[in-house]
Amino acid sequence: MLVKTKESLEVVKKIEPKEQKVVYNVDQLNLWYGDVHALMNVTMPIYENEVTAIIGPSGCGKSTFIKTLNRMTELVPSVKTSGSIYYRDKDIFHRKYKVEELRTKVGMVFQKPNPFPKSIFENVVYGPKIHGIRDKKTLLEIAEKSLRRAALWDEVKDRLKENAYGLSGGQQQRLCIARCLAIEPDVILMDEPTSALDPISTLKIEELVQELKKDYSIVIVTHNMQQAARISDKTAFFLNGELIEYDDTSTIFSKPHDERTEDYISGRFG
Amino acid sequence: MSVRGAYELQLAELKKEVLHMGEEVMETFSQSIDILRKNHRDAIAPLLQKDEKINEMELSIHDQVTLMIARQQPVATDLRMTIVALKVASDLERIGDLTVDILKATKRLIQGANELELMMLNEMADIALQMVKEAMEAYHEGDLLHAQQVASIDDVVDKKYKQFIKMLFTSTKDVAMEQAIQLAFIGRYVERVADHATNIAEWVIYEKNGQHLDLN
Repeated sequence: MLVKTKESLEVVKKIEPKEQKVVYNVDQLNLWYGDVHALMNVTMPIYENEVTAIIGPSGCGKSTFIKTLNRMTELVPSVKTSGSIYYRDKDIFHRKYKVEELRTKVGMVFQKPNPFPKSIFENVVYGPKIHGIRDKKTLLEIAEKSLRRAALWDEVKDRLKENAYGLSGGQQQRLCIARCLAIEPDVILMDEPTSALDPISTLKIEELVQELKKDYSIVIVTHNMQQAARISDKTAFFLNGELIEYDDTSTIFSKPHDERTEDYISGRFG
Repeated sequence: MSVRGAYELQLAELKKEVLHMGEEVMETFSQSIDILRKNHRDAIAPLLQKDEKINEMELSIHDQVTLMIARQQPVATDLRMTIVALKVASDLERIGDLTVDILKATKRLIQGANELELMMLNEMADIALQMVKEAMEAYHEGDLLHAQQVASIDDVVDKKYKQFIKMLFTSTKDVAMEQAIQLAFIGRYVERVADHATNIAEWVIYEKNGQHLDLN
């Protein structure tokens, strides 16, 4: 016997997508490392001014996916891809599309902080210098602006000439973010940016990510489920090279549609 | 071996404790109606003491849920299970309080209820108790359909409550007003027990699929 209900039990309430600009459009992306099929038919948009988290167990293809977004996977000789990735409506695999152009727009922050063995100042202005900016005043302005945006300025303003290796791990990672911001990118890719950091440094980076998404679009690979839940707007769950589920983070962590997603986020495998 | 065996055991234990609380609550509610039926006033005081045990059970469930959220960070279905344990325990505790109210009102009755009053109250109480029992079964099994069926009976209790009130206040020739008021209160408390059973059924649906349905 059924009774009055506001809606049928089968109906899943869908959140109406708001009008959002798409930064990346990934369509039927496949990637092979030699014979190993690492990404399988991945199709997903990445939205502007949002934090998109990529989660999944080790070896699921999440790092490969993020590295494909700025064509870093091409550094591996045996890599083969099919499908398409459009960045701002341009096909990044097109033979006329210059990888340098892509990487000035798409910055990357890695798992371990990797400052250059140079001064804090030289680290930040490294990119702008390569792009031909020589004026000291301009470089100083860029350094200050980038370090402020990376929430590091107050901690290093009096020691800009000191070697970057003297900074703590958390500071070094924010320096790498500042270095990335100095070239004024559009998108920031982060590959497990806090996995080598202590909890306080991690929270500082997370706060920073929230701040930065106002001006940048951020894609972050993380093993830390709570981190994805805390800071991202959308979450994509990868498993064995497949995109299993991609939705609003609030949906993924409260009512995921796929049982494999539920099992992974609740720690039942991975 | 399950990756989170200990955690899953904790979730199962939590549910078991809520089910145990449900049994205690049903037992005391049933006894309170029995006392009313037999006008067995000496049994009121000992039964009132049982409410303290029920309150303690609710607090213990609250503490377990707090610890589980703090230490295990449940998400999705697991999170709903822990939240629903909290909510069901609160509804059960309210049924415990209503049982206390029934006992106190019984104590205030000038004389025992008459045959017709008893028959009508008994009918309502039987249905309300059955609703709680089935809501707890639905909770145990995570059975959506069962939960919906429980809620559908609430209308019957509401209807019987209205009939009971009408009967009380249209034929008060030989019933003192104070007596009628206390009986009306008892009727109201029983009707509220059925409402809490409906709430539990709604929580079962939320636990299962995350939807809030107003079944009342």
